Amino acid sequence: MSKGRCVLVLMALLTAASAFGADPAPTRVVGALYGGPITDAGYNQAMHEAVMAIKTTVPGVKIIEAENVPDEAGATRTMENMIQQGATLIFATAFNHQYPALALSKKYPKVIFEHAGGWEMGPNFANYFGKPPDGWYMMGVAAGLMSKTGKLGFVAAFPMGWTCTFVNAFHLGAQSVNPAITTVVAYTFNWGDRAKEADTTNALINQGVDVITMHVDSPATVLTTAESRGAWSIGYQSLAAQQFAPKYWISGTGFTLGGKVSWLAKTVVDGTWKPIFLRTGFDDGGMAVAPFGPNVPQSVKDRVQQTRDKIVSGAIVAFKGPIVDQSGTVRVAAGAVLGDNAMASVDWFAKGVIGSPK
Amino acid sequence: MTWLAVMGVLSSAIFSGVSLLYATLGEVVGQRSGVVNLGLEGVMLVGAAAGFAATVITGNPSLGIVVAMLAGGLMNLVLGYLVINRGANQLASGLALMFFGFGLSALIGKPYVGTRAASIPRIALPGTAYLPQRIASLFSFDLLIYLAVPVALLVWWLLYRTRWGLALRATGESVAAVYASGRDPGAIRYQALFVAGMLAGLGSAHLAIAYAMSWTEHMTGGRGFIAVALVIFSGWHPVRAIYGALLFSGAVAFQLLLQSAGVPVSPFLLDTIPFLLTILVLAVSGGGRRHLAPAGLGRLYSGRE
Amino acid sequence: MRAAAESRRSPALAARIRSGLSRYLVMIAVTLALFAIVLLVSGSDLAASFRGLFRSSFGSLYGLSEVVVAMIPLLLTALAVALPWRVSLINVGGEGQLYIGAAAATWGALSFPGLPPVVLLPLMMLLGFAGGVLWALVPALLRAAGTVNETITTLLLNSVAPKIAGFLIFAFWHSPMDTVKTANFVPAARLPAFFGSRIHLGIIMGGALLAAFWAFMKWTRWGLEMRAIGGNPEAARRAGIPVRRLLLLSLCAGGGVAGLAGMAQVSGFYGVLLLNFSNGLGFMGFLICWMAGGQPLGIVLMSFVVAVILAGGDVLQLTSNLPFAVINILLAGTLFVVLARPTLFGRQKS
Repeated sequence: MSKGRCVLVLMALLTAASAFGADPAPTRVVGALYGGPITDAGYNQAMHEAVMAIKTTVPGVKIIEAENVPDEAGATRTMENMIQQGATLIFATAFNHQYPALALSKKYPKVIFEHAGGWEMGPNFANYFGKPPDGWYMMGVAAGLMSKTGKLGFVAAFPMGWTCTFVNAFHLGAQSVNPAITTVVAYTFNWGDRAKEADTTNALINQGVDVITMHVDSPATVLTTAESRGAWSIGYQSLAAQQFAPKYWISGTGFTLGGKVSWLAKTVVDGTWKPIFLRTGFDDGGMAVAPFGPNVPQSVKDRVQQTRDKIVSGAIVAFKGPIVDQSGTVRVAAGAVLGDNAMASVDWFAKGVIGSPK
Repeated sequence: MTWLAVMGVLSSAIFSGVSLLYATLGEVVGQRSGVVNLGLEGVMLVGAAAGFAATVITGNPSLGIVVAMLAGGLMNLVLGYLVINRGANQLASGLALMFFGFGLSALIGKPYVGTRAASIPRIALPGTAYLPQRIASLFSFDLLIYLAVPVALLVWWLLYRTRWGLALRATGESVAAVYASGRDPGAIRYQALFVAGMLAGLGSAHLAIAYAMSWTEHMTGGRGFIAVALVIFSGWHPVRAIYGALLFSGAVAFQLLLQSAGVPVSPFLLDTIPFLLTILVLAVSGGGRRHLAPAGLGRLYSGRE
Repeated sequence: MRAAAESRRSPALAARIRSGLSRYLVMIAVTLALFAIVLLVSGSDLAASFRGLFRSSFGSLYGLSEVVVAMIPLLLTALAVALPWRVSLINVGGEGQLYIGAAAATWGALSFPGLPPVVLLPLMMLLGFAGGVLWALVPALLRAAGTVNETITTLLLNSVAPKIAGFLIFAFWHSPMDTVKTANFVPAARLPAFFGSRIHLGIIMGGALLAAFWAFMKWTRWGLEMRAIGGNPEAARRAGIPVRRLLLLSLCAGGGVAGLAGMAQVSGFYGVLLLNFSNGLGFMGFLICWMAGGQPLGIVLMSFVVAVILAGGDVLQLTSNLPFAVINILLAGTLFVVLARPTLFGRQKS
């Protein structure tokens, strides 16, 4: 038993050592949690880069990050751990971090919570996001002009409100340049199953689709697969995506929220923070259009630029009625506009989209 | 249903099923020597992570494939040590290996999530060059796919036409008889496990380097478990494993075809079909199949070993 | 006379307790050592990581409560393996049985939101148990008929169950705002929590079932018969014990308990049915049962250890930039040591 006893002594020493260790001097601590890995060249990377921008406005800040926190119960525990480590500002970047963050904001009124993409508000809880539907509309215009078969493909993770909104915006943009266009939607039912994404992309291309885009965490596999089959591709989430499709890349949109996020952090440090429903888009730097690929004709680039200007000026509104869904029901009446809040709970597809919105 | 769509299912089944086939072949070799590897999922993950990491570091995908094979072989040696040298229960050891693989692969692969790596080139199937690119690209396979059937035949030849294979199968039937004939069943099992691990590594290398061209945690998606079942499905025979793997991945590809054609059947339900089919086949031919099994496995399954 | 007999018994009992306890302490020490090795190899700050680990699990009441919360499903999934193990059946299907039990309980929660908790919760428990039994039934029948081994069928069904849960979620139970889960359960459908923490009634379920299992095996006739089958099924059959029936019942009961674990998770912990909510709970139960040698008290202890490791994984990310999945190395390593050196843990080599 002496072997075991030695081990027990070692254990006791370790425990003692840990308990007496001193903490380093407290600095401003900011916590950020992500639903997936931060190097995914997609959503999580974009969110991560935005958080890293805080280092420019808040010198000496300590940023603690947690990746791969997809569900709510894990989010609660992670945020509690962060608060225990001294975080006073937390960025919850995944869609379903909203309610755990909201609950914790009530438990810890001195900690400020910023959620990406939600709609709830509270005295120490606010949210921020870009305006993706505008970008999707622009990309739809580009796709509609580039497609020869008149069939576009959309690889999506799950049927949910935001995804349906993106599909609709993309489709409406394409429809504005080619009224006969169709968009086929297929789901992988996973935010990051690479093999499934490859399979799904191939299946869409086999249906005659020649422009592919996606709403999954990382565009990488969809892009490389489309590239290998010679199909055009449009990226989303992060501007780093272009490297995956050197030849057949059209363009893409990505989040560039660094400026706004670092501004938010600065207001927290200054004490001037107020809960606001922050939406930033192409007009004020929150989202950007990626550079065009080498094989995109100038006429297409000009048309997209025109569309962008019209959206910024308000001449084009992506979701202005009348918009009809797949079964013919009018979803947005003539003259009306689909509101920001409604976008998160859309459960229909516009006419001309093939696939199930539920 | 266009010609392209049907060909697409076949192509998808091949691309997706090759990794499954290699893993199944490896497990056939292992089980033929009397060792069941429930941790195959973990072995494949480590192979994939190591192979992908090596590809990124050296820029040479072929080297990555070799590294993946070695990693798989080494993982299986761990199982071998527990089961052969320490006489531990195979199922528990296999599951422990699975957990180990989950963790080790995550550790190895972490710096390479989202990284782009060189991939092995794809060669068009001879005779498809004149087809339109959309169809031709369906049949542009990489080297590992072309090698799949030859490797299956090689495994068959190894098991049934060489003395090594004979000794291996004898070990699966009766360890005592092998001792009596003057050979060392432990050494034979180690060799079998190493070969099995290399084949599993080959399969996962294809998945990570040639097909998905990336690394994420748990990217093998259950292929390790499916392979263990497919071994029984194909009656512990390497050539029949080809059909099993094709059938299985074909069913998955079919589900995607239906989805993208707008057919409103739940993809979740369609995804269960391959598994249920396997269970059905096993149940229907169960009694008969037992005769095909290496006798040594029977004791294992009754929990007494 | 009696005094002499008692004094003869108590040192033996004391010695047994001491050796049992030291066995588990050694296991814990092994885990800590492995943890240190992993940290060293990956170049992390050893002191900060250990500090983070201890503080997040023992350093605060919240941390300790979170460990207990993580223990609850483990107790049940380990029992789900331990029960059939007594008749030498290997149940690796806990993962699948968990999902079906959770789905069945979810159906109950979403279909009867108006019922009072006193009625709804037991109904959900029943549904959860039934779901798990259903999922173990086919493998059990095939095994009892001697057709297919239950290891393979349960393994395959493990992969089918989450897909069925997914189908149910997306086809019937979710709305566009819910992404990958169902609508939230009404409060009546949630297992009540204690002391303002997240520890829920599931802990009572787990503890009670383990105690019942211990009593059952020790004192009832069936327990005796099961042990006989586990020792030597042929002799048991000759002695008139209904072997086939007990095999079936054991596997199904094990499945039912795993189904209860699923119910406890969706009702007590999550409050919704979340797609792919189990990250290996069924397999961890197998691991725990193995390390504990199928003994109820050991299961409680090892569940605690594994729960601490799981809590540690969360903190690992924050303090040493290691992915959560690294804790699997710890779990595996501990089991490796138990398998390789069973005598260190007072067990016979199998």
